[in-house]
Amino acid sequence: MKIEENILNDVSRVSLEGRFDADTCDTVEAFIRERIEKGRSQFVLNMENVPFISSAGLRVVIIIARELRNEYQGDLHISALQPTVNKVFEISGLNNVLRIFDDAEDATLGFSK
Amino acid sequence: MNIRFWGVRGSIATPLTNAELAAKLETAVKLSIKAGLTDKKQVSGFIRSLPLHIRQTVGGDTACVEVKAADKLLILDAGTGLRRLGLDLVKRYRGNPIEAHILLTHTHWDHINGIPFFVPAFSSKNKLTFYSPYPGLKARLKNQQNPEYFPAPLSSAFKFVRLNDCDKFQIGDVKIETIPLNHPGGSYSYKITCGDKTMVYATDSEYKELSAGSLKPFTDFFHSADILIFDAQYTMLENVEKEDWGHSNVFIGIDMALEAGVKKLVFIHHEPAYNDKKLYNILKKAKEYVDINQSEGGLELFLAFEGLSMTL
Repeated sequence: MKIEENILNDVSRVSLEGRFDADTCDTVEAFIRERIEKGRSQFVLNMENVPFISSAGLRVVIIIARELRNEYQGDLHISALQPTVNKVFEISGLNNVLRIFDDAEDATLGFSK
Repeated sequence: MNIRFWGVRGSIATPLTNAELAAKLETAVKLSIKAGLTDKKQVSGFIRSLPLHIRQTVGGDTACVEVKAADKLLILDAGTGLRRLGLDLVKRYRGNPIEAHILLTHTHWDHINGIPFFVPAFSSKNKLTFYSPYPGLKARLKNQQNPEYFPAPLSSAFKFVRLNDCDKFQIGDVKIETIPLNHPGGSYSYKITCGDKTMVYATDSEYKELSAGSLKPFTDFFHSADILIFDAQYTMLENVEKEDWGHSNVFIGIDMALEAGVKKLVFIHHEPAYNDKKLYNILKKAKEYVDINQSEGGLELFLAFEGLSMTL
């Protein structure tokens, strides 16, 4: 799993590349938690280059989003889901509770609206 | 090996309500009008054609699964489903002594509430043995039948065998292994092997750490099982909201079963607040997920319901 971060207007845009599953979930969670500890609370998880997400990835996404909302007045926006990954968000019901955007720019702007 | 489900509900017995029954009947009658039924002979076939959530219920009794392996009778958990199993055994054995080995995952109510109503325990000629790794199991079960809670004491017909946390033992030709699961107050999984067939019963467990390393002790235990019976009480979202309640969901079950190379995955311990329609919808979504997740289609999914029989 390759992870990159760009910061725009106080929003941390975290771009993932690779499968988001039991082999990579700890890496992604640690990466975001490290930034939460440094005071960040607004994140975009850009999944343009994620071809697959399993229950392990879904759990990290929902746990982090809930924590940011409940404890930091922040959020985790999701962007650029590939069709298969989008389907998994729908099947699991997570699309009903997360803010999902077509691209990372919209997801970033979503924090100012 | 033959497996039969007598109780599949989690937490508390959940009888079908009159309103739910009326809704099923109303839907069925409307569909029969739409199908243009004109003759009594068409009725049976029409009923068989109805979706499962309309023509049956998964059932309301709590955890109890019968396993017949070689010539041994094993019973997994003693929830309220044990009552009807007991009545059936009395009929089947026609007065001959019943020898049953009852493997308990833990002693929460929904896994022991059937014991006071297990009719074979009323006869001293039957040989009934409980197995569990819990210290003081007999005292726990006796307490359930203290006069404050129940009019009759625990039957003296029961014998008790104390297991270790990670045990391996045999009952005749049947090999049994245990490992601890993640549940408030504890719970244990049982792996039953007879000849070249293996089934695993793993109910009442929560998996909060989903990295491959954290799940390895469990996926190793489930490895190559012909059948894995798995606690999928909640939806993905509710599982997160009910953190530390000790249960799981279909998505985690599928990922673990695929990792372990399981052949058939059976979801059990259904949430009492979920009706038949919701439960079959969860199964539908689980099938969509497994279709995305596996390339060769080796894993089959099932929703446990009362009366479901499976043969290995």
